[in-house]
Amino acid sequence: MEQKDYQQIDEILDKYDRDKARIITIMQEVQNIYRYLPQDVLSYIAKAVDMSESKLYGVATFYSNFALTGKGKYVLKVCRGTACHVRKSGNVLRALYEATGLNEEKTTTDDGLISIEIVSCLGACALSPVVMVNDTVHAAMTADKAKDLVDELRAEG
Amino acid sequence: MADKKMFIDGVECPFTNERNVLEVAKNNGIDIPSLCYCENLSIYGGCRMCIVENERGGLDAACSMKPRDGMQIFTYTEKVLKSRRTTLQLLLSSHRADCVTCDMSGKCKLQEYAHRYNVDSTRFPTNTYNTERVDVSSPCITRDPSKCILCGLCVRMCDEVQNIGAIDFTQRGKKAYVAPGFGKMLSETNCVGCGQCAAVCPTGAITVVNQIEKFWSMLHDKNKKVVVQYAPSVRVGMAEEFGMPADTAVTGKLVTALKMLGADVVYDTNLTADLTIMEESAEFFEKVKNGDKLPMFTSCCPGWIQHVEHKHPHLMPQVSTAGSPMEMFGALIRQQFKDEDVYSVAIMPCSAKKFEAQRPELEKDGKRLIDLVITTQELNRMIKEAGLNFAALPESEPDSPLGKYTGAGVIFGVTGGVTEAVIRRVLDDASPGTLQTIAECGVRGLEGIKAFEVSAGDLKLRIAVANGLGNADKLIAKVESGEEYFDFIEVMACPNGCIGGGGQPPASNARKRERFNAIFKEDDRLELKIPQQNPDLQYVYDELMKGRAHELLHIHYPLHGDHH
Repeated sequence: MEQKDYQQIDEILDKYDRDKARIITIMQEVQNIYRYLPQDVLSYIAKAVDMSESKLYGVATFYSNFALTGKGKYVLKVCRGTACHVRKSGNVLRALYEATGLNEEKTTTDDGLISIEIVSCLGACALSPVVMVNDTVHAAMTADKAKDLVDELRAEG
Repeated sequence: MADKKMFIDGVECPFTNERNVLEVAKNNGIDIPSLCYCENLSIYGGCRMCIVENERGGLDAACSMKPRDGMQIFTYTEKVLKSRRTTLQLLLSSHRADCVTCDMSGKCKLQEYAHRYNVDSTRFPTNTYNTERVDVSSPCITRDPSKCILCGLCVRMCDEVQNIGAIDFTQRGKKAYVAPGFGKMLSETNCVGCGQCAAVCPTGAITVVNQIEKFWSMLHDKNKKVVVQYAPSVRVGMAEEFGMPADTAVTGKLVTALKMLGADVVYDTNLTADLTIMEESAEFFEKVKNGDKLPMFTSCCPGWIQHVEHKHPHLMPQVSTAGSPMEMFGALIRQQFKDEDVYSVAIMPCSAKKFEAQRPELEKDGKRLIDLVITTQELNRMIKEAGLNFAALPESEPDSPLGKYTGAGVIFGVTGGVTEAVIRRVLDDASPGTLQTIAECGVRGLEGIKAFEVSAGDLKLRIAVANGLGNADKLIAKVESGEEYFDFIEVMACPNGCIGGGGQPPASNARKRERFNAIFKEDDRLELKIPQQNPDLQYVYDELMKGRAHELLHIHYPLHGDHH
């Protein structure tokens, strides 16, 4: 890894006094840089805050917000909360999986373009069913709109 | 002074400062079941087996209840028993119960409780375990998460006591399992193979590598001369398994049993413990003379050596190069039976010794010093397998020459023992008065860290003794910050030293105290007390090792450097 990357991480670590009690915040900020938590970076953080690698890995795998593998350019968050569920978000998810060839285990396409994540609630129940593409909300989704969305993203590249 | 009392099932139970109701019950002879509790670790309260009913009919975990004066609890009401039974059924639903062929069969707490609490059927589907994560990468420890009940004892032992943290919880909810980080294998972590995780594991999820079959095949091979040595603390880890009082050292019966199993030659590692002291103390005074950096650290414990290599590599040049007693006896055996087809076996209280024996450095003249390490637990099983009535066996002596040993060797089996033996060697006086003074200088006892001063002639020596790697780390931090100075530091990786080794039958603190007493009773029994009194050492130095003592008895690991 390049030198400047560690410098960025050091800045984050120092901002939180290399305090293991603030490890979640540290990891969130580090994840903002890479969009996921690379293994060598996690090892570096573990040493810096004096935590065992296994414990830090445990924290990283406990919260679904943390990703340990690289995510695609477009991250699709499909809401499977109660309101979205009753408005058939299951069909939306199935359509997205069909259109991308992804599933619950394989969450990112081989070309690195699209990732699909299942989330519990996006707090936008009135717009349900909801899919977020990075920071953009797509409201009142259907299976057909989901397929169109994937085509659009592919076209944009 | 017990000035407070509570009532358990209507029985008056006095207590003082016990940390929870579970301990109060235990101290009053009442057995409340638990799977995730250990007296030496933090309280987790996760297994829900120690559930009891309180005065108001509510259910609470006894491990997480502070005892109160006048408190009333009930440990086997209808509610309690039903709750425990359900808990067990839930645990069994994700447990691969291959009990009859499991290494822990007969010693598994889950198995014991399933029987005790009358779990006569598995109420839930029992196929939710994952057998893909079995980890046999370590020469010391086997992990099988499909038998894990997520009690977390191993995680806390590795983190809180050993300060290593090789394993932890991964994922959460029903996906959770215990493993090293990043999907690594145990052999790729900083695990030192001490086996304390296996010692606290209530099921067969973590076990010490079993090599019984290998040992039998060698014992049955008529062309092999099987030469067996047994370590100081093995003799105090056997009696309890064969219905004898736990504070009995079974040395003579152990020799007989090994011979009956088929060993051709049997030696007591105590001899090379004496030898280790001779070499280590000579090395120490050499360092003092040369003005080398102190403290010098002991080198008998393979868990400790690996810990230094992983965590404190810069201290490795300060670790003695004297081989461990096991290694030294391996070297003697190769010299004693030079041209014979010898298979060299060491009975050890230790799982990490299985790793030590495999290290490339344990080879002299092109021959491995130790071919196989068998733990006390494995030997106990083999004696049962052979159907020997161990308690009734006659006593025998180790083979001669190389069969003599002193009390200084025996006490290696307990924390502080190596240091006490060094002091005996240095003061060079076996009179009862001097021995008494040494025993009372602060070196004896099961405390995690001991620090004291000893005068030898015009030399004043600051000495520290640590057991448990977490304690060793604390001590090192103090030395490195300049807060404390020591000339000599003994470290044993396992709490209480080898009597509590990962290869011994798992033991409570009280049981380990009995083993401690047994070691010193054995020392009392022996006429010879100080290493230099050992008559066989002359044979070792003048004949067997003939000018090659340093070359054959010392082990230079890569990080020792070429300084020596």
